Amino acid sequence: MSKVLIVDDSRTSRKILKGILEGAGHEVVGEAVDGQDGVEKYKELSPEVVTLDITMPVLDGLGSLAEIKKADPNARVIMVTAAGQQTKMVEAIKLGAAEFITKPFEPDLILAMIEKVMK
Amino acid sequence: MIQQLFGDYLVKTGKLSESQLQTVFECQKKVRVKLGLIAVAEKLMTPQQSDELNRLQAVVDKRFGDLAIEKGYLTEAQVSKLLSLQGNAYLTFIQAITDNGFLKLDEIEASLADFQKENAFTAGDMEAIKADDIDKTIALFLPSDVEPLQVELMQTAIRTFIRLIDSDIFVEKAFWKSTFSMGSYAIQHLRGERPASLLFAGQADSLLTIAEPFAGEEFETVDMDALDAVGEFTNCVNGMFCAKNSAKCELDMLPPSFRDGDYIAKANRMCILPIHVGQSVVYMITAFDETIVI
Repeated sequence: MSKVLIVDDSRTSRKILKGILEGAGHEVVGEAVDGQDGVEKYKELSPEVVTLDITMPVLDGLGSLAEIKKADPNARVIMVTAAGQQTKMVEAIKLGAAEFITKPFEPDLILAMIEKVMK
Repeated sequence: MIQQLFGDYLVKTGKLSESQLQTVFECQKKVRVKLGLIAVAEKLMTPQQSDELNRLQAVVDKRFGDLAIEKGYLTEAQVSKLLSLQGNAYLTFIQAITDNGFLKLDEIEASLADFQKENAFTAGDMEAIKADDIDKTIALFLPSDVEPLQVELMQTAIRTFIRLIDSDIFVEKAFWKSTFSMGSYAIQHLRGERPASLLFAGQADSLLTIAEPFAGEEFETVDMDALDAVGEFTNCVNGMFCAKNSAKCELDMLPPSFRDGDYIAKANRMCILPIHVGQSVVYMITAFDETIVI
C-alpha cells in the first residue's frame, strides 16, 4: 500500500480521489489545494506517489511537476486531467510525469495506475 | 428526453395531472432495460464485459453499443438487434399512459400533433425526438444562428448531463441574451483560437441537482463545496468537448470558478438553455469567440 499526496484545487475531486485510494488501503498522507502548496507538501511529507491536477490556480500542474522533479528527480507523479488536454499531457511527459488519469474518476483505473508507478 | 418533453406538454395542456405523469414515469421505468443487461440476457456478452463498458462510459463520451463494437464484443448487427429489443422511449411512454388508462391512443396522437404544431417541428424533427436522438433533439431547441462548435459544446454538455447527473432531464427553447440575471453559478473559460465560456447557474438550491449526483454526497445548501462540484462537472464537459475538437482548434481550459449569491452574466451574445432537472430549472449559458463576464 502506498503513501499518496493529492494535489487538486477542487475539494470535490480531492474527496472522491481520497475515498477511492483509502477504500483500497492506500494512505493519503496529505492534500494540497494548488500547485505551490503541492510542492511545499511534497518536500514536507515525502510521499511515495503524487496525484497532480493539471488545471490549477497559483501554480498549475505543469509548474508544480517541474518544481517537484527538481527537488526529487525520482518523484512518482501521476497527472490528473480532464479529457482534451493532450498538449499539456505531452509537456508533462517531457517533464517526467509517470502516468495520467482523467476526470471523471474511474476507480479501477486509478488503482491500476498507482500499482503501475509503484513497480 | 421525449417522455419528459411530451409529458410536460401533456401536463401543461391539462391532458394529464402531475401525479398521473409521475405514475407513468414509474411504470415506464419497469419496462426500460439497459442495453448491457439485454446483451447479457441474450448471452452475447458476459456480465464482466457489460460492467467494463458501463465503467468506461463514465469517462468516454460514447454509447454502450458503439463501445461494444469497438471492443469487438458485439457486431453492428447484434447491436441493432439489441436496440430493437430494448424498446423505444416514446413507445414505452405511451404504453405506460394507456396501460394506466389515463389517455387513449388517439388522444395521445392528437396531443402529439398539437405539440408538433406549437413547436413548428417538421416530421423529420418529430422522428428524431421520438427516436430519442439527443443531439438532434438539442439542436431543435437552439436558435438557428448558433455557431456549429457552440452547438457541439451544448450537445456534449447535455449528453454528459444525462450520463453523469440525471437521465430524466428535458430542455426548453434556448434564447440569446447580452445580460442575464442569475443566482449562484460555476463557470469555466476556454482560452485559445476560439475562446469560449460554459456556465451553469440557478436560483435558490437548483444547482444541487448537479452538485449532489456529481459529488456523490448531500449538501444542505448551495455552498462553496456544492459549487466546487458543479465547477468540476463543467470541467468534465469542457474536457470531453476539447478532446473531440483538438484537431479543429487549440483550446486551453482555465480553472473553473464559482460564487454563491445573485450575479449578472454579460457578453455580446450568450446562448441560454433552460434545463429541467426534477422540479428545478438550471441554466446552461455559453458564449463563443468571447468570454462571459460576471
